[in-house]
Amino acid sequence: MLTIEELRAKVCEAIDQRAEQIIGIATHILKNPESGFREEGTARFVQQQMDALGLPHRDSLAITGVRGRLDGAVPGPSVAVIGELDSMVVPAHPYADSVSGAAHACGHHCQIAMMLGVASGLIHSGAAEALTGRVDFFAVPAEELIEVEYRKDLRSQGKLEFIGGKSELVRLGEFDDVNMAMMTHTAIADGKGKFKMPGTSNGLVVKHIQYLGHGAHAGGSPHKGVNALNAAMLGLQAVHSLRETFRGDDTIRVHPIITRGGDAVSAVPSDVRMETFVRGKTIEAVRKWDGRVDQALRAGAMAVGAGVRITTIPGYLPLENNRELSTLFRDRAIDLVGKGDIAAGEHLTGSTDMGDLSHIMPVIHPYTMGATGVGHGADYIIEDYTLAVINPAKVMAMTVIDLLANGAEKAKLIIDNSNPSMTRSAYLGTMREFAREEEFRYE
Amino acid sequence: MPTVDELKQTAVAAIDQRKDEIVEIAKTVLANPETGFTEQKTARLVQEKFKSLGIPFRSNLAITGVKGVVEGGAGTGPSVSVIGELDSLRVLEHPYHDETTGAAHACGHHAQIGNMLGAMIGIMVPDVLKALSGRIIPFAVPAEEFIEVERRMLLRDEGKIEFMGGKQELIQMGEFGDIDMAMMCHTSSDRVPLTVGGTSNAHIVKYVEFIGRGSHAGGSPHLGINALNAAVFALSAVNANRETFRDQDVVRVHGIITHGGEAVSAVPANVTLEWRVRSGNLQALEMNSAKVDRSFKAGAMAVGAKVRITNIPGYMPLRNDPIMQDVFKYNAIDLLGKAGLRVRNSGNNGGGSTDMGDLSQIIPVIHPYCGGATGTGHGKDYLVQDYNVSVVNPAKAMAMTVIDLLANGAEKAKEIVDKTESPMTKDKYVNSQRNRAEVIEFDGAKA
Repeated sequence: MLTIEELRAKVCEAIDQRAEQIIGIATHILKNPESGFREEGTARFVQQQMDALGLPHRDSLAITGVRGRLDGAVPGPSVAVIGELDSMVVPAHPYADSVSGAAHACGHHCQIAMMLGVASGLIHSGAAEALTGRVDFFAVPAEELIEVEYRKDLRSQGKLEFIGGKSELVRLGEFDDVNMAMMTHTAIADGKGKFKMPGTSNGLVVKHIQYLGHGAHAGGSPHKGVNALNAAMLGLQAVHSLRETFRGDDTIRVHPIITRGGDAVSAVPSDVRMETFVRGKTIEAVRKWDGRVDQALRAGAMAVGAGVRITTIPGYLPLENNRELSTLFRDRAIDLVGKGDIAAGEHLTGSTDMGDLSHIMPVIHPYTMGATGVGHGADYIIEDYTLAVINPAKVMAMTVIDLLANGAEKAKLIIDNSNPSMTRSAYLGTMREFAREEEFRYE
Repeated sequence: MPTVDELKQTAVAAIDQRKDEIVEIAKTVLANPETGFTEQKTARLVQEKFKSLGIPFRSNLAITGVKGVVEGGAGTGPSVSVIGELDSLRVLEHPYHDETTGAAHACGHHAQIGNMLGAMIGIMVPDVLKALSGRIIPFAVPAEEFIEVERRMLLRDEGKIEFMGGKQELIQMGEFGDIDMAMMCHTSSDRVPLTVGGTSNAHIVKYVEFIGRGSHAGGSPHLGINALNAAVFALSAVNANRETFRDQDVVRVHGIITHGGEAVSAVPANVTLEWRVRSGNLQALEMNSAKVDRSFKAGAMAVGAKVRITNIPGYMPLRNDPIMQDVFKYNAIDLLGKAGLRVRNSGNNGGGSTDMGDLSQIIPVIHPYCGGATGTGHGKDYLVQDYNVSVVNPAKAMAMTVIDLLANGAEKAKEIVDKTESPMTKDKYVNSQRNRAEVIEFDGAKA
């Protein structure tokens, strides 16, 4: 029987041998970007890759999710290795889809490649046979919380309840038989090493806002109109007026866009729509500003005598990483790149639905370098695929071995020591408390 | 018995003879500007001049008003008031401003005191006066400019006034109860020497207090509620409503921030505004005033502050009496020729407001304009340049008009009294104004 060190060496060797092919997965997805809950092509591609590896999989989970299953020699805990299927929408990105504007400006294409790289390594090295338990390779949809109106429609058609992929998969019970999860996100190489340890991230709620005015000829009879665009402008301004009262510690972020700004320049706008997030470091902070932002948005309507319909959709919960899992990952990352190339974790003010998972099970969400540019920008490009795909595939594969070798001793210890803040039903309750729709009109 | 024309010539000659003295009165007032309800020096000057002209008078009406009464020598008849406004504006950059108060005659009221007293010089010529039936009431009135609202609210709280415009208050006190018709001439920077006709806006005055919560602006802004942000938002909200104002309503919405915070290092807890909504008619005024109130409430709502809006009855639209205006017009043409007179149609709304508008709701009035000034009204460059045009001409035209009204047994004045139906009685006016007064309290955190 091989030692853990030997298993780790073999899995790394297997990954190195197939590095080109694994990177090819990433570049294929890069060139075929699809935004959340539309990742049909990417999902089919993942299914083909799993078929090629001989991994049984279940498909069309939360519309496009694909869950492959690798069983160890004997039953035991299950560890999920996650990759996100979806792209951003950045029409100016060099690899943007010319029709949909979808583009991998957040590096998710690398996640799918590294996840399949872990599977390939564990299978081809034979390490899988030394493991107790199961590894779930989970290609999940829709981590980017965008295209809110589209998802809101899916929601009203009953195709979704939550509009983030992992949240919806939790609701569907797809994480009920998973004990812990990991994924590695790409990050911008800022000269500070090759990996960055997991930190925390903001929670958020999503708002769809519709200002209801009254159309009129903008030249002939503006006095008969109620200008929904003016209401929206004022709503935004009211939100900005609140900014000075955001506590630094709460890392509040509110950043709306206008998705419909009026229908014809010669008519007083009667229907203006916006989307925004309200993000904060804690659930309490999100709750507090969720309400106050609504209040500010209502003031915009009130100012011009318009109405406003605010649909608040549960978003993501703040991320907490499991310390023991982090330590394992860190140790294996040190093995690979050395201590000096590992940056410390920090609080990031973006959000991820790994945060949701982190409330119900131990997770880690570390970062790997290799990108340049600005996240979600047109210049976010993976420059170094070894850093962005191969390194994390190796570290995650070694971490899986650490967890599930020796009778899954480490995994069991982590499960015993972990104390998730919520059960699945408590999680669903918390999420559903955020959901509401209100129409305000000041008479 | 002299003819009416002879009476006018006599009056005009008397005015010409004392022209320098009349102009000097205006310049003395210019050099001693006082804002509404503080016009003590100006009122004393008027009292002295009344004394020297032999005009009996009562003083301290609505704090500073001075009301003379002169009986015509030809028996009873209607009473005609010639009005001059005592108060100045506040324009700190004006060359003739008061160093301490900032008061300045940037609206030419000093010329009114001159032309009112000038008209009386013509009328008080014994040959003229004895040919007139009825009464002439020269009236120096306080506080036409509706400014310094906070200070006037204090006067109101102390029970010294009820309404904040001079003529409004004098109406309420009954001081116009014995006056059948009134006239005054206001300066303008028009090149035409005299203008008649036109109308003015109604308005409502708002004293607005945004109440937030102070806190250290650096250390704990999250504990504060920024009343200045509430106010700034409210003003944007007001502006967003402008596209719904109808041109024909001549809507004007404007104001100033009188208190914008306590210290730059503290989140502003209290911010106060003086605001004004004007419109050409009372219905539009009510509608637009409600939009502005809604905007102020929205400001409070935006940041979770409170707002208290004190709505103070402002002025009513001006109606020039057509018969009296014709009398003035013929005299103006006599004096200056056709080129010297501009006639505006009665719907031509200048955009500003005057409490002559209030008076015009209960008795016939005319409110012609005399040129002679240059610059922008209420601006630092508003200066009377030609005192002949702004003081002497209108003094003559008003004296001639009074003669036309009260000579021949006051035939013309009686015709006006008979034919003119004013829209309101004094009681109806006072009630209507009292109904406009209200205090709105709104808690934006609870709405």
